[in-house]
Amino acid sequence: MGGLRSFIETLERERPDQVVHVTEAVDPAKFEVTAVLKHLELRRKYPLVVFDRPLDLHGRPSALPIATNIYATRERCAMALGLAPEDARLGLSLEYARRERATVAPTVVAATDAPVKEIVLTGDAVDLRDLPIVRHHAMDAAPYIDMTSVMRDPDSGAYNIAFLRNMYKGPRKLGLHMSPRHNWQIVRKREAKDEATPVAIVVSHHPAFYIGALNVSAFGVDDYAVVGGMFQRPLRLVPSATWGDELLIPADADLVLEGYVLPNAREVEGPFGEFPGTYGPQRVRWVVEITALDRRSDAIYQDVFVGHPDNWVLGSFPKEGSIYNAIKGVVPTVKAVHLPTSAVGRFHCYISIDKRVDGESKQAALIALGACDFVKHVVVVDSDIDVYREEEVLWAIATRVQADQDVDVIKNVKGATLDPSQVDDIMGAKMIIDATRPVRRPFEARIEIPSDAMDRVRLERLIPEDQLRRLG
Amino acid sequence: MARIFWVTCPYCAKRFYCHTEDLRHKDIDLRCPFCEREFPQEKSPRIDE
Repeated sequence: MGGLRSFIETLERERPDQVVHVTEAVDPAKFEVTAVLKHLELRRKYPLVVFDRPLDLHGRPSALPIATNIYATRERCAMALGLAPEDARLGLSLEYARRERATVAPTVVAATDAPVKEIVLTGDAVDLRDLPIVRHHAMDAAPYIDMTSVMRDPDSGAYNIAFLRNMYKGPRKLGLHMSPRHNWQIVRKREAKDEATPVAIVVSHHPAFYIGALNVSAFGVDDYAVVGGMFQRPLRLVPSATWGDELLIPADADLVLEGYVLPNAREVEGPFGEFPGTYGPQRVRWVVEITALDRRSDAIYQDVFVGHPDNWVLGSFPKEGSIYNAIKGVVPTVKAVHLPTSAVGRFHCYISIDKRVDGESKQAALIALGACDFVKHVVVVDSDIDVYREEEVLWAIATRVQADQDVDVIKNVKGATLDPSQVDDIMGAKMIIDATRPVRRPFEARIEIPSDAMDRVRLERLIPEDQLRRLG
Repeated sequence: MARIFWVTCPYCAKRFYCHTEDLRHKDIDLRCPFCEREFPQEKSPRIDE
């Protein structure tokens, strides 16, 4: 099973337009990596970017290049799962939902067969300053590692993987932020017994590992098995340097940090620029003591450009398929479900249906709200609207909605703690906009060009190619 | 989003914000993300909440 490098090499071979190398030295701790990404974003360009010569936190050339912006397009995410880029819409969402349920149990290999064990450092030999850790946004408290942490439930033994932010605090010390989700439960169980919680921070691996980590399975489902489902073969694991078989780590990862979440220890952490595109505030949070570092000899450091499309696309399609399937059971004419990047890949949900009776649209919306607590505003449209083209959704709202008839607000529902508009820490308001045409009364038709005319008229024949190209 | 309060760093005069329940009126030094110095919130020249 290849690591990140094999994915980038495949991409460069099959879609060279998708990868950009920055060969000049850059200082990630001084915002130079994220400044490059932001400049590209301002030009509406979202390539995977490899920084070949980043500095580490000492200010010296790092042994590891950085790869980032990997997930900024649905097409690359589809390719990471072995799908064609053309399958990046509903096909990607549904395939994700299918693989999420088709778990594959992991397998354990010997250290000699594990690329992540090519270099193992323990104790004081580990110095996080040797890594090119990225400082992302102006108010961030420090450089942050923003990939996934792996912990193991002490009761069931199931592994949980989650994207958690880790603030650089010292050569072997990180500050850890957790929301009250699965990893938080694991740490709380350990802390009740005054025990430290073993944690493996998988800083870099093949993108399918991270895509699989975003599954919406219940607490207790083994995330290593879900990731195996994404790869469609067993995830290869290897005993960690710190705990051996007690905490297994991915054998094909590029870079893993091992450590303990210290019991009942808290320090200030943050602010940190979060997924909504706003800073999460400085808080009192957990502390991680690093005990070991495992990596490939040619490891690539990985980072997600949080609060930007790299982060938003990752938040969207893994939820879309399960929402679609939930709706399909009740509203069989559902056509598509999309969480657009304009709403950080989480807060807005666009649903298209072939409405047969009035009321179906609201039923579909309520299912979406129930299926995912991140979803805040649901817009239901008819199937003539392409939910992946936002201007069409907005057109439907403009022409098919009367606010007093078609908008509903539901108060005091569990929301997202990082939503800056939410007044309560846990609860927020949800909104349903029914932008479908009514079934029970005549409604004006959408204008259209006759399809035979569209087929007959070929733009390339009527407008010279160079003029078409100039149009962009 | 939980309640927050904006604080001005007494050393570099830049402003950042903190989680009210975690940190307001608590005996925990705040840490300026800009100059990275720590200070008790009473030393801040301005707190907006």
